[in-house]
Amino acid sequence: MSGRVIVITSGKGGVGKTTASANIGVALATTGVSVALVDMDIGLRNLDILMGLENRVVYNLVDVIEERCKLRQALVKDKRLPNLCLLPAAQTRDKTAVNADQMKTLCTELKSMFDFVIVDSPAGIESGFQNAIAGADEGVIITTPEMSAVRDADRIIGLIEARKDEIKDHRLVINRIRPQMVKTNDMMSVEDVLEILSVKLLGIVPEDEEIIISTNKGEPVSGTDNVRSGLAYRNIARRLRGEDVPFMDLDALNNTWVTKLVKFFTPVRA
Amino acid sequence: MQVLNWFFRHRDESVRVRAKDRMRLMLIHDRLELPPDRLASLEEELIAVVSRYFEIDRETTRFDLQQYERRAALVANFPLLRSKC
Repeated sequence: MSGRVIVITSGKGGVGKTTASANIGVALATTGVSVALVDMDIGLRNLDILMGLENRVVYNLVDVIEERCKLRQALVKDKRLPNLCLLPAAQTRDKTAVNADQMKTLCTELKSMFDFVIVDSPAGIESGFQNAIAGADEGVIITTPEMSAVRDADRIIGLIEARKDEIKDHRLVINRIRPQMVKTNDMMSVEDVLEILSVKLLGIVPEDEEIIISTNKGEPVSGTDNVRSGLAYRNIARRLRGEDVPFMDLDALNNTWVTKLVKFFTPVRA
Repeated sequence: MQVLNWFFRHRDESVRVRAKDRMRLMLIHDRLELPPDRLASLEEELIAVVSRYFEIDRETTRFDLQQYERRAALVANFPLLRSKC
């Protein structure tokens, strides 16, 4: 088997990389393929929490690299999906515990075992990021429609494009879009961000309080029905599998009875 | 007034457009690793060179960077009044 290694990255911290990694992993596994989630944020481990697996972690990625255990021993099986595994980061080490060559070797081994290997990259553009992208075949860049996040995403896109021999494809996910704010022209739209960054779009994820709830429960939203951010991540997973899925209609999300009422009383735009 | 503002807010494109314009300019400079005053000094030098050959209309001179995919293009427009030769 030769799977695909996809790195999830953003440059700026706090835009939703880990949430995206967990949700894309769960959504892909739900479609039936085997998935390994790799937490490369060494020293700041979080992916295990989002997956609700923090109590099951025995070994970690650094243990594998330093040969204290076999790769299979370090993989933590998901609670619900038998075809989904997590390779946790070490919490007590730092980014220097792994180098790019070791990461490449690890990715090659994981690729032989899984259909998809999703690597959650740390924030920043330093060694941690460089190691995270070392074994990647594809990149997914996460941004929010805020200027600082878009600027950092641009930097990351530049760095990824410079390695196009290894990273064959990269696409953008615009996270935490607030349709109402776009409508009132208080926030950049999906089109604005795409125009500025000139990059292919993989998905749009609307701002959703359910994300906070799901993190607290340790159950990614993409595993739950009737959650709009969960649907967005399931669509992303289908697109990663090559399906042509139309992008979410953000205006439709706006059509609650309150907005309909406001629209009724608002003068028609000239 | 507050209520009226809220109703009419969607007509004002300024915040979104301003963010987009700032963003575009910032990224062009980022991508070229161009310090902010560099462009102004290039403009001055170019005007000086062109001015040796032509009298130019400084009022309508346009000089800026435009985005073309992920690259930038330098677009200069020097309206010429008459030749100095």
